[in-house]
Amino acid sequence: MAKARPITGLDPQAPTGKNARIIAKIRLEELYSWESYVDNPYNIQELHNLRIAAKRLRYTFEVFEDVLPVASKDIVKELVQIQDELGVFHDTDVMIALLRLCLGGQDSAAVLDSTQTGTSEQDGKDKSLVPPELVTDLLDPAVSPSTEERYGLGKYLQRQEQLRKKQYNAFRKHWYSLLSRDFRRKILELLEE
Amino acid sequence: MNKQPSPMRAAIDIGSNTIRLVVARSAPSDLDIVVSKEQLVRIGESVTATGAISQEKSDAAIALLNQYKALAMKYAADPIFVVATEAIRQASNSAAFLERVQCENGLTVQLISGTAEAALTFYGATYEVTREPNPPAEIGVMDLGGGSLELVTAKHLQITWRTSIPIGSGWLHDRYLPSNPPTYNEVSVAEAFLQTYFQGMRLKHRPPVLIVTGGSATSLLYLVHCAFKLDEHRNQLTQQDLIHCEGLLSSLPAEEIAQRFDQPPGRARILLAGALIIRAAMSRLHMNEIHISPHGIREGVLLAFERYGDHWLDIVSQSSAALNHVQLSEAPLVLPPEKEPFVQTGRRLLLERAKKVLELPNEVLKHEDVEAVHRMRVAIRRLRATLDAYESCCHPRRFKKVYRQIKKAADALGAARDTDVMLLNLHEQQEHVNGEEQEGVQWIIERLDTFREQKQRALEAFLQQFDEDTIEKQIASLIPEGVVSHGKS
Repeated sequence: MAKARPITGLDPQAPTGKNARIIAKIRLEELYSWESYVDNPYNIQELHNLRIAAKRLRYTFEVFEDVLPVASKDIVKELVQIQDELGVFHDTDVMIALLRLCLGGQDSAAVLDSTQTGTSEQDGKDKSLVPPELVTDLLDPAVSPSTEERYGLGKYLQRQEQLRKKQYNAFRKHWYSLLSRDFRRKILELLEE
Repeated sequence: MNKQPSPMRAAIDIGSNTIRLVVARSAPSDLDIVVSKEQLVRIGESVTATGAISQEKSDAAIALLNQYKALAMKYAADPIFVVATEAIRQASNSAAFLERVQCENGLTVQLISGTAEAALTFYGATYEVTREPNPPAEIGVMDLGGGSLELVTAKHLQITWRTSIPIGSGWLHDRYLPSNPPTYNEVSVAEAFLQTYFQGMRLKHRPPVLIVTGGSATSLLYLVHCAFKLDEHRNQLTQQDLIHCEGLLSSLPAEEIAQRFDQPPGRARILLAGALIIRAAMSRLHMNEIHISPHGIREGVLLAFERYGDHWLDIVSQSSAALNHVQLSEAPLVLPPEKEPFVQTGRRLLLERAKKVLELPNEVLKHEDVEAVHRMRVAIRRLRATLDAYESCCHPRRFKKVYRQIKKAADALGAARDTDVMLLNLHEQQEHVNGEEQEGVQWIIERLDTFREQKQRALEAFLQQFDEDTIEKQIASLIPEGVVSHGKS
């Protein structure tokens, strides 16, 4: 998870409304810094970071709701939707990594790689999708799946991959609908009020 | 020779919660009240929710104003004054509402300022005291409305200081106490909010006597008379009385309070908020006892008219504006949230967010509800967002220490929750997969169940050593007094 951008340029004695707008603008920029990854469904870490950035912007609106315009509630609704769409997408990614791990068995070092998110250019380090202790548990030969169970896992993996496609398409469609409604500019205008 | 009876007048006050009517024979320092009515309309509810007066609230107000006008005319009251306060001041569509009242009720509404409101309330709430042989030299009046609280102090009945706080019983209820009855957690967060907010109220003098007026105050007195058998001639309330009221009001649903203690249901719902605000104000003023007056702004309007004639509102506004100018340099007003200094809001928000987190470990440790982990995780995220926003105002070392602990808690909860989510999804999908997949899904559920147990035990161990009191104290001390920037004071 990318670290939150530090907030600078605040005046502690200025009205809360003024500073809340500065914070929200920084969080908005943070959100859009991940925009270029929207079209690549396999930039798992970056899409996850986009989700976290949406969450941070949403919480900023919620924490300062008393001092921001009432219309912020509509913005929050859209942010919650982005967060939910990317949330279920991420859950499916975790499940896919888990299933690949189980099916790959203990003989493939590549299996472990498949549980990594891979392309974290921004952070400079990879982060496991599946917790390392769970990897150890799943690869324990004492509990390895039977042939029937492996077959079931394979089928279930296919189902998850289909589901992932649907979830990604739903998110992307929503993102582009926000783009056509000039969502970013609307937020900026709201923060100028 | 027979004394000429005083003229009959009427005054209507459109407040955030209530619309009230008084019809009285009026003299400059005396009122003979013949009719006193009030009804809860809660215009402020729609203003808090949407920023505007809803059609439903507007219709209800118009209908009630028609009834009040008819009643005033029945007593041949003339003129009929109508004043409006905080909710109408705040509403984005106040002009349209006032025009509607003019057209449909034939009544002209005076939208009065906060300062004029405070002065008129003071006249109304103290007029009985002024008739006593030895009125107290120093006195305070607090008017608790639905959308705001006005506090006035006076010496020899001349106002010396006033402040207006945008916190009223309706507002606090809508914002902090939505459940019926409010939950322990909601009450605790509302108390934390009030405590921090009232800390920011600088007082030059503390009045030795405080008269409290407004619908919540009079209803609380009535509740104490009914429920705790207080002498019905006694018009004082102590902190202890209010604590008893709070216990009652947070134990029973509003409908039951209304039925048992003869309160309008709408009033019963916001009464706990009123009790909490009054008690917080009493604590800030170091008072154990207050006097309740049933009189307020509408009686003040009638007295002001008798004292100053047709230009009563101009005179009251000018004199209170002059007072405001003097006092601003001596005792700044408590500001509404949007104008409150960032650091002051920060102290309040951090404490509120921390309380929401710290009340949840017990719930998680009960293991009764899988969603408790999720609730605590969300509460932690909100606290982290607040900490991120205020990092530059915080003491750097204290901030790092707190942030580290909160992050550890987030990680422990995250590990437990992520496994819960995987299992919840698998169980949900298990119902829809075909027979071939069933075996595979069941295998993975069994592996995850074992892993979940490990994570739950780890979370339990973490929460058992989670020292809520210490963390709360550390968070309360994050933003030092006199902070200038980047945590340096």
